[in-house]
Amino acid sequence: MVFQKMLRILIAKPGLDGHDRGAKVVARALSNAGMEVIYSGLHQTPELIVHTAIDEDVDAIGLSILSGAHNTIFPRIMRLLEEKDVRDILVFGGGSIPRKDWPPLQALGVGRIFLPGTDTREIVAYLNEALLERKPDKGAA
Amino acid sequence: MKPDPRPERTPLHSGNALSCIEKAEAKWSREYPKDRERLDAFKTLSGLNVSPLYTPTAVSGLDYLQDLGFPGEPPFVRGVHPTMYRGRTWTRRQLAGYGPPEETNKRYRFLLDAGAGGINGVFDYPTLRGYDSNDPEAFADAGRGGVAVDTIEDMETLFEGIPIDEVSISLVTCQPICNISVQSMFFANAQARGIPLDRLAGTSQNDFLMETAVAIAPGVSTPHASFKLSCDAIEYCAKYAVKWNPVSFAGYNYREAGCNAYQEIALVMANALACIEEMLKRGLKIDDFAPRLSFFLSAHNDFLEEISKYRAARRIWSRLVRERFKAENPRSQALRFHVQTAGVALTAQQPLNNIARSSYHAMAAALGGAQSVHVDGFDEALCNPTELSSLTALRTQQILQLETGITHTVDPLAGSYYVEHLTHELEERILGLLDEIDGMGGIVKAVEEGWVHRTISDTAYAYQNAVESGEMPIVGVNCHRLEDEPYEPEIFTIPETLAVQEDKLARIRSKRSTAQAQKALDDIRRSCDRDDNLMEVIVEAVKARVSEGEISRTLKSCYGTWNPPLF
Repeated sequence: MVFQKMLRILIAKPGLDGHDRGAKVVARALSNAGMEVIYSGLHQTPELIVHTAIDEDVDAIGLSILSGAHNTIFPRIMRLLEEKDVRDILVFGGGSIPRKDWPPLQALGVGRIFLPGTDTREIVAYLNEALLERKPDKGAA
Repeated sequence: MKPDPRPERTPLHSGNALSCIEKAEAKWSREYPKDRERLDAFKTLSGLNVSPLYTPTAVSGLDYLQDLGFPGEPPFVRGVHPTMYRGRTWTRRQLAGYGPPEETNKRYRFLLDAGAGGINGVFDYPTLRGYDSNDPEAFADAGRGGVAVDTIEDMETLFEGIPIDEVSISLVTCQPICNISVQSMFFANAQARGIPLDRLAGTSQNDFLMETAVAIAPGVSTPHASFKLSCDAIEYCAKYAVKWNPVSFAGYNYREAGCNAYQEIALVMANALACIEEMLKRGLKIDDFAPRLSFFLSAHNDFLEEISKYRAARRIWSRLVRERFKAENPRSQALRFHVQTAGVALTAQQPLNNIARSSYHAMAAALGGAQSVHVDGFDEALCNPTELSSLTALRTQQILQLETGITHTVDPLAGSYYVEHLTHELEERILGLLDEIDGMGGIVKAVEEGWVHRTISDTAYAYQNAVESGEMPIVGVNCHRLEDEPYEPEIFTIPETLAVQEDKLARIRSKRSTAQAQKALDDIRRSCDRDDNLMEVIVEAVKARVSEGEISRTLKSCYGTWNPPLF
């Protein structure tokens, strides 16, 4: 049997937007899929999110944004990670983020973005694949 | 919770006719070809079993005069007004708000010109949470999700040119910490315009569950403080703004966060009961304030369950208020509600399909006897509504009112075997949950202990599982998907807000009297210490150009903050 370390995922809701149903459902689904999930609750500043991510040594940060502020928040998080010289944390997202806004965010290094209505199994599969590529010694059960 | 005994029973169906039907139904059921059904089980959206057929036997326990009665009379199942939509159709109250107040003012005027009957003003995330636009916490959110309001001058701009004494205004001030400042600004602005408070007709949301159990965040007001702020506004309005609905128990938002139909109603009822008890403790009489307690409910996908839900809610409310609190005024017992079509039921995929969904939702609200309705824009899952999607939503309401004929008679689905049965079944579920909450010591306790958070979160997760297993079909999401979207809607862009509001705040702070502003904040602090009603001092504070953020900070420093449980 090959020992596999669990993937650690931070699910965060930046800003003051209160739509947390999706974030909580995704957090629970990832956890049920065998990942270790840290859910930060609402009202997280980008600084706090990046701090928590480093502190908790996570493999990925999932940002849930339904306020329309994604074009401000993603770049700020990416910049903060760069400033801290963090290169091995995958940043992905979900929420009401229109398709036309995806390419510029992905050009900054943001991973996949999931719209409302996404099957959580798709997110699990994505994380397993994307993170195992980065860290082949880790994986969800 | 049995109704008053009456001299005669008036069952819907009884006697020989009923027993003949029972026999015939038993035969029909025996011969029913169950194996030809396309599903193993049929359930409502909230999980209640649905039989193949309902007949008079399903409603034989109902008593017409006690359980249904007449519109405009207790128990109000058939509607809160005798004429219902034959007199006045429901108010078309489309939600609107974005950017700085001058921009939202334009959208209000656009909607009123297009035939909206009332204003439904939603505030941006910083305002809802008690922050000024330029607070570091609000760095990305000014003008998003609603309009930015920091001081009374924003309120002046927001309602400039709008006859606030003629049009009814709903202030979507979800959280009491926001409401106490924003409602005060609205009232103070009305007074400045020469309109006495007792002429203002409108509603503020002001629901403490919104601050402490739905959309939860660290560092919010404690459940106790949030509940107190909400009750302060209710008490103040009962005295000075008697036509204002000072609270709108926001079942809609509990539903959006995860609740099912009967949990939604049980939570609003438990919340309302707690408010009543608090008002009675403060020395008010039930009939002085109960007629102004109002409700805000969702209209979700299960058409007949939603209609039954509204009818059940009316029956329960009427009985509770009469029997538990001895209300004498029938208006105290009449449950009035606003409906918003369920945003959570709308999809980002094939967004034009949402026009069809929202139409069914709105029709359920109408057949359920709503007093006012907002229909969501078809772009709900993607962005703030554009002018086009807002207009289409308003037109959806106008088509319902003018073309479909459903407004011509009152409560047209009454007597439907299924609807009456489901109304009763939901009523039982709601009363069961109310007992459970009572057993915990009431809603404030249920929040403090995390029961409400857990209930909402568990139901939301079960819903997601039902979608993912395919048990709950959602067109375009888990069936009838398209690989390429045939239509990409225009995405609404929020106008520049932070810079505009920052300028205004700087200007106001430089020209206001610092001494007056400081005194106003000191008065708030003193009133907190004495546990007085805070409305009056806050109305004075907003007149002194104190900002919402300054008021909220003062309140939080007096009452402390709370980190709700995360589930």
